Amino acid sequence: MPVRVLVVDDSAFFRRRLTEIFAADVHIEVVGTAVDGRQAIEQVKVLKPDVVTMDIEMPVMDGISATRKIMASHPTPILMFSALTTQGAKATLDALEAGAVDFLPKRMEDISADKEVAKRQLCARVRLVGVKGLNAITKGVAVTPHPASSARPLATKPVRKPGRRGQYKVVAIGTSTGGPVALQKVLTQLPANFPLPVLLIQHMPSTFTPAFAERLNKLCGINVKEASDGDVLKPGLALLAPGGKQMVVEQTRGATVVRILESESGQTYKPSVDMTFSSLAEVFNAEVLSVVLTGMGADGREGARLLHQRGATVWAQDEATSVIYGMPAAIADAGLADRILALGDVASNIVEMV
Amino acid sequence: MAIDLNDDILQDFLVEAGEILELLSEQLVELEQSPDDQELLNAVFRGFHTVKGGAGFLALDPLVTVCHRAEDIFNLLRQNERKVDAYLMDVILQVVDVVNDMMASIRSGVDPDEADPSLLAALALLQDPNAVPEGSEAEPPAAPVVDETPEPAPTTDGADELFENMLDAGAPSEDVSSDDITDDEFESLLDDLHGKSGGPTPAQAVSADDDDDLFDMGGPAAPASSDEITEEEFEALLDQLHGEDDGAAKPDAIKIAASGDAPASDDITDDEFEALLDKLHGKDKGPTETSTTEGVAIVPPSTAPVEPDVPQNKDPEPVTKPPVAPKVEPKAPGPAAAKPADTSKPKPAPSKDTPVAETTVRVDTKRLDDIMNLVGELVLVRNRMATLKSTMADEEVAKAIANLDLVTSDLQASVMKTRMQPIKKVFGRFPRVVRDLARSLNKQVNLELHGEDTDLDKNLVEALADPLVHLVRNAVDHGVEMPDDREATGKTRAGTVVLSAQQEGDHILLTIKDDGKGMNADVLRGIAVEKGIMDEESAARLDDKACYNLIFAPGFSTKTEISDISGRGVGMDVVKTRIAQLNGAVEIDSEEGRGSMIQIKLPLTLAIMPTLMVVLGEQIFALPLANVNEIFDLESANISTVDGKKVVIVRDRAVPLIHLGNWLVGDDSYVGSLTKGYVVVATVGNQHIGCVVDDLVGQEEVVIKPLGALLHGTKGVSGATITGNGGIALILDMPGLMEAYSHLI
Repeated sequence: MPVRVLVVDDSAFFRRRLTEIFAADVHIEVVGTAVDGRQAIEQVKVLKPDVVTMDIEMPVMDGISATRKIMASHPTPILMFSALTTQGAKATLDALEAGAVDFLPKRMEDISADKEVAKRQLCARVRLVGVKGLNAITKGVAVTPHPASSARPLATKPVRKPGRRGQYKVVAIGTSTGGPVALQKVLTQLPANFPLPVLLIQHMPSTFTPAFAERLNKLCGINVKEASDGDVLKPGLALLAPGGKQMVVEQTRGATVVRILESESGQTYKPSVDMTFSSLAEVFNAEVLSVVLTGMGADGREGARLLHQRGATVWAQDEATSVIYGMPAAIADAGLADRILALGDVASNIVEMV
Repeated sequence: MAIDLNDDILQDFLVEAGEILELLSEQLVELEQSPDDQELLNAVFRGFHTVKGGAGFLALDPLVTVCHRAEDIFNLLRQNERKVDAYLMDVILQVVDVVNDMMASIRSGVDPDEADPSLLAALALLQDPNAVPEGSEAEPPAAPVVDETPEPAPTTDGADELFENMLDAGAPSEDVSSDDITDDEFESLLDDLHGKSGGPTPAQAVSADDDDDLFDMGGPAAPASSDEITEEEFEALLDQLHGEDDGAAKPDAIKIAASGDAPASDDITDDEFEALLDKLHGKDKGPTETSTTEGVAIVPPSTAPVEPDVPQNKDPEPVTKPPVAPKVEPKAPGPAAAKPADTSKPKPAPSKDTPVAETTVRVDTKRLDDIMNLVGELVLVRNRMATLKSTMADEEVAKAIANLDLVTSDLQASVMKTRMQPIKKVFGRFPRVVRDLARSLNKQVNLELHGEDTDLDKNLVEALADPLVHLVRNAVDHGVEMPDDREATGKTRAGTVVLSAQQEGDHILLTIKDDGKGMNADVLRGIAVEKGIMDEESAARLDDKACYNLIFAPGFSTKTEISDISGRGVGMDVVKTRIAQLNGAVEIDSEEGRGSMIQIKLPLTLAIMPTLMVVLGEQIFALPLANVNEIFDLESANISTVDGKKVVIVRDRAVPLIHLGNWLVGDDSYVGSLTKGYVVVATVGNQHIGCVVDDLVGQEEVVIKPLGALLHGTKGVSGATITGNGGIALILDMPGLMEAYSHLI
């Protein structure tokens, strides 16, 4: 069954381009188009697509408002097409908050330098989102936090180390698709006087991370900033790895600092959760509380493995509340998850353990 | 990146972007009138955003860059972090021009050039809400012209205030390489004195209050006929700088640059002059884009088929000929050199209507031309059948032919309709033209457009663009007076130019009317004599209307033309020729003090023309019926001789008589008869000519066929056609004929 897509964009040019690209993929079927937000809402009602690709800037009603309305009346996975600019960042974060599942760069080159690869990735993303559908979180259904809320058995292997209170010197959270909203949910629940430094690794374009950090900072009790090279790890401060780069930690004479490295070719994820987790394992050994939240792929698994070997703690988000149960699944399936938690429980669990 | 014109995606983009750009131009001018209109701000933002997106998709980087910056600025605007002011509008309009240039480049298969760095720099400045003061006096990068309006307008004219403003006006530009004033810069300063168009100036006040204008000379500012500055004008300049105070000795810089003698009194202090130089240096000298866009409006609700290859009108500034200047492209009537993308897609306007499933088809204009040709052939065959019909006895065949006749006529009409476009396509560019021009001249002009939905053949629409622009510019430039002058004569400060179109039977009537100062017949008479166009006697014999129409005579309007048009080589005579080429006619009437009116009459289509078929010798020729006034028998004609030339007296007027046969019949033994034949009185321009022909065949609607490479350019012949009985008739071009042969009279 091909994934049924509704393409929304006020530019006829773009509508046609997207339709062409999707038409080339047998697993995708474009069931309709819309030229503005209002039409999009109507089309969603009528056509009930599996996925909606949504432009942000449109006349009559913009993409963000439309997303909000669609999620309120006919929740459907929505992929925003974003300009990878600061302005686009803000709009995208708004869109994600409004309920969009994920975003894609509007410029093909930002997806991949190779046009063909870009097209394939675009199709892949659409299919994935269309197939996965929405889960409880993204449907906006409230998920009351309680211990055993995951759909899977708690762990395939017995929990090794439940973790010791006060064991940790640093908290690290890695995430991808669905991360912005998930991180916001978790971090806003941390008290302003949270006693540990926090490292955040979110797969995100470089133009977006500053805006994202700023937004989190405004909303959270703790301080949040985009990490710069040399930033000292401090309690109550969350450092967000800059998009396009890698964030690792280093022990200097005085304190533990963050080092920002240029990405190397061949590194798929920038920033990579594996990179940060591995360096944390080196520097902190068992004193790390790491969490892998929603996201596609398996970035974080190898880093988690190293952490696990050093005796640190690894948690994974559960399937029910993950927008995309990729990265957390990789952790759980590798038997590395000490706990599997619903998104709503993550913050309280963290607070308990520090 | 190489441009592949066969790429459908590229063509698709060009069409969509073209439509957006046309609309943008109009929207921007509208926005200037209502700068707080949120809808407009959003719409313009989206316009740039969408073009940028498509350009990005196609990796047309220069286009992306400049659109991106414009988009960013409009983002600031729509979020009210910045306000629309005249300067910003100038810069953005330049962007639109630059984008249009890039599109033209792409359409002709050439990679677009990057936008001028100075423009990008100006855009960058505008993007920073803190950099440039609101309503800044900073120059748009391209116009090397001195500020005409100090901001905020000082109501006192203390010299100090003036200078504060001038000093402030120097935009924080990096390029202050030297403090010397170059010749060019001073020229531009002088140009301003002359009230010449200096391109988009930052003058905030389109309402030109005299107090505010730094260089508005009330008195001696009549458009000088030369670029020299007179002593008076220089005095005036200094007066303004001083605000009537005396200053110290005038620096040498002025002396060097000024071609006139330095005035002995009213010196300028060194400081003041330094400040003046600083100000001038604040301007970059980049390309000035006082060009009209090639964009044409799609005004919702529309059925506007969009032609991305409408010819561009560019006015390179006389002061600086920028290296990256858009090339002047006076497009000949006919398909543009650039590959025509698409046409005739009545697309519902994006912003207003709820777009339905698209019920239109994009068709290459070439295909339409081909169809038109074929229909033309069919018409000729039909004509042939019609002639044969009379020789047929068979009633059935006759009926069938009659049927064929009807169907062919209908087909002809339908195909012609496919090529019809509303004239609003051309009209759409005028708000911008008028706005820019009025601004640069410090005049206030309201433009009214009527009859925008009048349909015209597509080729006509393209061919009319240039002449119309010229005529409208003339109306604004020469017709409408300065606001103060108007007020002084009891008129409203703002002049009105009305541009209207209406269909009259098989003709289109275009009118350009202004309520300006009109023309004085005697002055024109004098100029005509002075320029050697005619002698005093002939001039005296002309009636007023004929005098007004003198402005169309070649050689009539040269130096008195405003300088930024002169570079284009488009004088009124060229306008007239162009219109004649379209088988049309143009006339002007005027009333001194009240205004002028130009009327253009055009046939609805270029492809098919009603003619009068005549016989000369053994050959048949076709005379455009539009030129024909009356016909009478030669025998009964009243012929006499005046000044040694034959004339025929028609209702008490002497009409020169010529034997067309003498000119056109190849056979040397042919002699035009003086007794047998007909006189066809034809109108050629303003003259009546009595053409003697040997015989008349009758009226016939013919399909104009081009002459082909060999005969192309033959004087006096504009094409050929196939007659009803299968022969070939040459179609005469009366104006060309007169020009070529009148020396034989």
